[in-house]
Amino acid sequence: MTRSIEIGRLLRGSTSGFVAGCRVPNFEADAPSLGALVRAPLGGEMQIYGLITDIHIDDDGLVRQLVTAEGVDEAAIADNRQNRTVPVEISVLAVGYRQDGQIAHMLPPRPPLSLDIITLCDDEELRRFTSAGRFGYFRHVLRGSDLPVSEILAAHIQQAHRAHTAAGNPGWAELASQELITLLRDDYPALIAVLGALGDAIGDFRF
Amino acid sequence: MSLDYQQVREQVHRLSQTAPARENRLKALRQRAWGLMQANTNELDSLRQKVRTVVRNHDPSLRCAVPAAEPLTAHFPPPPLPKHLVLLAADGSQIFLDRHALVEYFLINIGTIQMTYGESLPASITLLSDLHYGDDLHVSGAYPTEEKVSLLRDLRERQKLADLVEQMGEPAITLTDGRLELWGASPEEAGGEAGEGSLQTFLEALARLQAAGAIPAGYVDKPGEDYLIRLLEVASQPPEKAKDRPLLGVRDVDLFRRILAPGERSAVFEVQSRFAGIYRRRSESFAPHFFYLNVGREDHPWLARVDLLAWVAQDGRKLDELHAALVHQCSILGTRPYPYLLHRAHEIARVTPDEKGQLELMIANELRRHGIIVEESNKQFLKNLD
Repeated sequence: MTRSIEIGRLLRGSTSGFVAGCRVPNFEADAPSLGALVRAPLGGEMQIYGLITDIHIDDDGLVRQLVTAEGVDEAAIADNRQNRTVPVEISVLAVGYRQDGQIAHMLPPRPPLSLDIITLCDDEELRRFTSAGRFGYFRHVLRGSDLPVSEILAAHIQQAHRAHTAAGNPGWAELASQELITLLRDDYPALIAVLGALGDAIGDFRF
Repeated sequence: MSLDYQQVREQVHRLSQTAPARENRLKALRQRAWGLMQANTNELDSLRQKVRTVVRNHDPSLRCAVPAAEPLTAHFPPPPLPKHLVLLAADGSQIFLDRHALVEYFLINIGTIQMTYGESLPASITLLSDLHYGDDLHVSGAYPTEEKVSLLRDLRERQKLADLVEQMGEPAITLTDGRLELWGASPEEAGGEAGEGSLQTFLEALARLQAAGAIPAGYVDKPGEDYLIRLLEVASQPPEKAKDRPLLGVRDVDLFRRILAPGERSAVFEVQSRFAGIYRRRSESFAPHFFYLNVGREDHPWLARVDLLAWVAQDGRKLDELHAALVHQCSILGTRPYPYLLHRAHEIARVTPDEKGQLELMIANELRRHGIIVEESNKQFLKNLD
């Protein structure tokens, strides 16, 4: 089932990713998670796919002042979450796009241009995207020098593994792991970090 | 070219040289004022009589405190917060007309926020943005100066509060920032016929609030007034010397800081002024009053002045509710006590410079679409080059 997370404003974007914001009440209701696959429209039938690489909430002067009180007033908390336009910022790394029904694990030709609803991909879409090609989208994540690569991949593979297993394909995660081993064969520290995170994420999974 | 720090530095240095002597002089005056306050604390009838004599015979423009029913040095702890209480705060901002800009217009923005104690619903907010252009520019037939636009803003705040209280159908405390009176020290600021119209509008809003059982209050942060000091000067001098200011420089807060523990309010005082007379002529229940309130801590007292009207000042229950609500509201903001809802109302109403710029472009583009030429002044264009 598709769930929509509304964004208040597209804060910034490029062909390698974008940052969007949503209001706290919406965030609480349909909370996205690190590593989740999302999509944003790009005009016509085209969709950009991305992985969530960061979610953060900025403070501001009033919030900093509120915490100086002895016990933060519940009504003030509710007012801040419901009424104040302090957005939750969601950073998304572009990992592919869909055009004319075909999925490509390449960077999109252009970023989203207008404020649009980001959609959390459902299990069906997640399976379709992660099954297309041969994990080409992993390279976009591995290229990220400022990203918690291990955690993002682990979280993403955990979610995809769950979706594939539900559809009777538990072997997907093993294939994904083997691809990571191949890609990181010349970077032993990174490989160990990724496999360690995967082990934490998927428990008794064997590579 | 900016500030000449060398010039300013010398002036700051001179200022600091005289500051200690001034402070010593003020200390002595404060002590004298404190002595007068204590000596007169229970002389309420005598004080009222002296004020009447001065106003009638020597200084009709006297502006001072008049004791109501409580001794001058009385202080009252915060009452418990009622289980159910509705608070409404309103604040306004504006974009003043700028004849140098692309388009001549002005905007009034009124933000309100309502919170109900005893209910778990989040606060509800409203925002009213009122744009004036073309034939709407003139305020009561006059060019919209900054003073007139500010006056209109203040009127709209009170009207909006009255609208909301009437819609709610239950009594509420209504808070605005600054003094509750619409104008300052003199009726002349009302500005003739136009001012009279504004005053009537304001008084009608007050009447609506009263009819709805509301408790309107004006909150004055860091007050600098000397209403009580003026009363003490009147008390300590013969009436014909009423205009002399032997305690000039001492402020009311200098005295109340000695009396009020955290959360306590002072005695309630009535305001003697020419404007107060105008309000009283409309209704005795509109007579302006005030009290001081310590919203700070033991180690850091912080005094505010709360303006209220007679119908609240003379109602013990309403007064207690207002007192309790303000103490709680100020506690929400921790080390910088100020009513939370008033700050939020300000946030809601605020128009940022960016928004102002976008609004101006929006209007300009719309006018150009209709073939109307819009152009900023050369002066503004050159300023924008910075």
